Amino acid sequence: MAAFQLQSPDFGAGTPSLGWGRIRYAHTQGIMLGWLANAFFAFLYHAVPILTGRPVTSERLGAWLCALWNFGVMVPGWVLVLAGVSQPLEWAEFPLIVDVMVALVLAGMAVQFLPGFFRRGVESMYISSWYIIGGLVFTLLSYPMGNLVPEVVSGAAGAAFSGLWIHDAVGLFVTPLALSTMYFIIPASTGRPIFSHFLSMLGFWLLFFLYPLNGTHHYVFSVIPMSAQLTAIITSALLGVSVVLVVTNLLLSLRGAGWLPRDPALRFVSTGIVFYLIVSLQGSVQAQMSLNQRVHFTDWVVAHSHLAMLGFASFAAAGGLIHAWQRMPEARYHAGALSWAYWLMTIGLVLMVADLTIAGLVQGQLWLDGAPWIDSVAASRKYWAARTHIGGLVSGGFVLLLAGLTTGPRGGGLIVRPEGGDTAAHTRTHLAPSLAGDHA
Amino acid sequence: MSGSSSTRALRMAYVVAAVAGVLFFVISVGLLGVWPTQVLREQTSRMAPEVPLRPSVSESRGRLVYAREGCSYCHSQQVRFTEADARRFGAPTLAWETQFDTPHMLGTRRIGPDLSRTGGTRSLDWQYAHLYAPRDLVRESVMPAYPWLFDGAPDRPTQEARDLVAYLDSLGRAREVAGPEGEARAREGCDCDNDPMMAMAFEGRLNNHPARAIRHGDAPTLPIDTEALPRGQALYARHCATCHGPEGQGNGPGARGLRPAPKNLSQHEYSSARLASALWNGVTGAAMPAWRDLSTNDLGALAQAVQALSVTRVEPAPSEALLAQGREVYAANCAQCHGPDGRGNGTAADALPMVPANFTQQQLSLSEAVRVLREGIPGSPMAPWTSRLTSADILATAHYVRSLYAPALPGHLRK
Repeated sequence: MAAFQLQSPDFGAGTPSLGWGRIRYAHTQGIMLGWLANAFFAFLYHAVPILTGRPVTSERLGAWLCALWNFGVMVPGWVLVLAGVSQPLEWAEFPLIVDVMVALVLAGMAVQFLPGFFRRGVESMYISSWYIIGGLVFTLLSYPMGNLVPEVVSGAAGAAFSGLWIHDAVGLFVTPLALSTMYFIIPASTGRPIFSHFLSMLGFWLLFFLYPLNGTHHYVFSVIPMSAQLTAIITSALLGVSVVLVVTNLLLSLRGAGWLPRDPALRFVSTGIVFYLIVSLQGSVQAQMSLNQRVHFTDWVVAHSHLAMLGFASFAAAGGLIHAWQRMPEARYHAGALSWAYWLMTIGLVLMVADLTIAGLVQGQLWLDGAPWIDSVAASRKYWAARTHIGGLVSGGFVLLLAGLTTGPRGGGLIVRPEGGDTAAHTRTHLAPSLAGDHA
Repeated sequence: MSGSSSTRALRMAYVVAAVAGVLFFVISVGLLGVWPTQVLREQTSRMAPEVPLRPSVSESRGRLVYAREGCSYCHSQQVRFTEADARRFGAPTLAWETQFDTPHMLGTRRIGPDLSRTGGTRSLDWQYAHLYAPRDLVRESVMPAYPWLFDGAPDRPTQEARDLVAYLDSLGRAREVAGPEGEARAREGCDCDNDPMMAMAFEGRLNNHPARAIRHGDAPTLPIDTEALPRGQALYARHCATCHGPEGQGNGPGARGLRPAPKNLSQHEYSSARLASALWNGVTGAAMPAWRDLSTNDLGALAQAVQALSVTRVEPAPSEALLAQGREVYAANCAQCHGPDGRGNGTAADALPMVPANFTQQQLSLSEAVRVLREGIPGSPMAPWTSRLTSADILATAHYVRSLYAPALPGHLRK
């Protein structure tokens, strides 16, 4: 059922190449829709039946959705942007015709995954379920904000809507699915329930309240009304606080598993949690005007987005895939490759973020000093060259991740419970919410 | 019993939360999307010129090329309301300036400079040559080249390249064309007294681009420090050699697309004042940009490096008769543009796209002066004179314009 044949290894470096702009179009959409969405959807096929206690709506629908997503969205999207048919909107680069397909598939995903939750009743729903519902529903709502509205609303006002989507794409699509994966894997892997269901729900609602209000922080000091900018800046700070809450809960749920859990899925997840904390606090801080004035437009922000999409989200997605693989007797599994993938990706990411953050500070300083523009380009050269090499590490990590899931013996990672019972049932018992107890 | 009531309470709580969640999304769209749109729309109607300048068909097509190639990933199109931005690029971008931009390309990253005020900043052939091969003009640039927009040479742009350059040259123009009346109207529509940030949009120069050429501008006196020559030569190699060539012969890789061609510096002697003006103000009508982003110390060093490139020989002094002949030809044919005293301020000068050469501040080698008189300067109003003047007249005129050179400061440091 895994549908990540099109995962993008193109964590491209900034070396000038022919048609860089178009490659860049393909890069953002490839990472978000090609790699992350495919990986998360794949994980949903593992998680949703366990969470709802019943199969997904239709296997045939699943095949269609997978085919549509990859051959109706990704392939034509990539071909079209590389051929020059695109929209110049960040995180919304695929042209409108492809956008329509995206919306269709997302609606299909809602039909595929959501009915089971509602049939079961919300009162016994686990936090992951909430995130899945939230993610799918709110993405459907917010997708048109960035992809359609700026085609109709011109200029700075259109940018206000773009800002909403840039943040919602991360906050309402990627983050909920990543967090649902994390909340799912931790108890399933450690065999202990999460620390607090109450905190998990509190965090969930705070995220969904605060994330959408962050959008305009992408256009601080622009002509967009100051009150909108201030709203976004303040909620950005509040979001940081609520993320601390979520991360505390996640880390406390991990207690006893150690800093480097043996289970590669859990290891990816626990590292992703740390990245999530860092990236969110960083986001809260860089939205503040004094810092924003310095680092906006620089590689600092590029480092931030890589920390979010590559560190937090990709680590959750990788953990999700590995976790599911460990529970499929027919799946190939190569533990050594996965371990190497983890280290390459972690080291690569940390280096890349450090490199780009420093580059951003250098660029920002030169711009403030009023140095000739080309000085900032010349000064960035060595950081960009380093990033290219680091990008090789990260790409290598992704190749190994792919290898870890496609080579090795079938069922090589199979988790056999000592009690010999059905793993799904076992997982379910650990996810069963004890909300009443929390409320008491 | 209590279990079922707590379940019901829980369910109610979730329903309330779910409704609130959707509401919050709606609020976010309202607060950060719909409401700003309203505010900006009203602001635009208050502040925009009554008849705003709309993009032409070619510019609109060029915008599509710009969008397609992903230019906005590296070039933002918004001057932010920050001091650093205003100092570097000019007045912060107002909402009405982007009113016809669908979709917007404000951008969130700058690898290259912001382009919202780039119109009129670079000459069109500079833009073509730069799109064709960016590093031919800016050595350290990382911009991708777009040779597929050309028929094999920078001076043979396709329609797409013409559209793209037309678009680039239109950026920021709407507000410039609106003129002082437009600024006054915009300022009236702005609640500037209560909104210090918006007031920033009206402080300082509209276009502050350090490379923008100014036709008649003051220039600072450049410090002369003979120790600075090596630094000047390094600066020359970095910024100037791409067009003027490593030896100053006007044959750098960037020169091939530029009309008028970059000056052959080895055949010119320039006064320090002339170099200060050319470096500080650029040369309107030519691809020579201004270099106001360099410090005056650097510019002084650069000026010395340029003077050091000059290899004009000492020519035998012309006879009085020859000079008199040259003066006569000059008065009849050249003074209209170059002025009666050769100061470049003839009666026709202001109507020309370029300021005519001021011969009191620059001296051509004899051979270069003769060459220019014979061939003219393609791309400038200077025409070839072989059909109007005899060879003897041309030689006499060349001697005469050379005799006009009278730099205020000792111009040639190598002497």
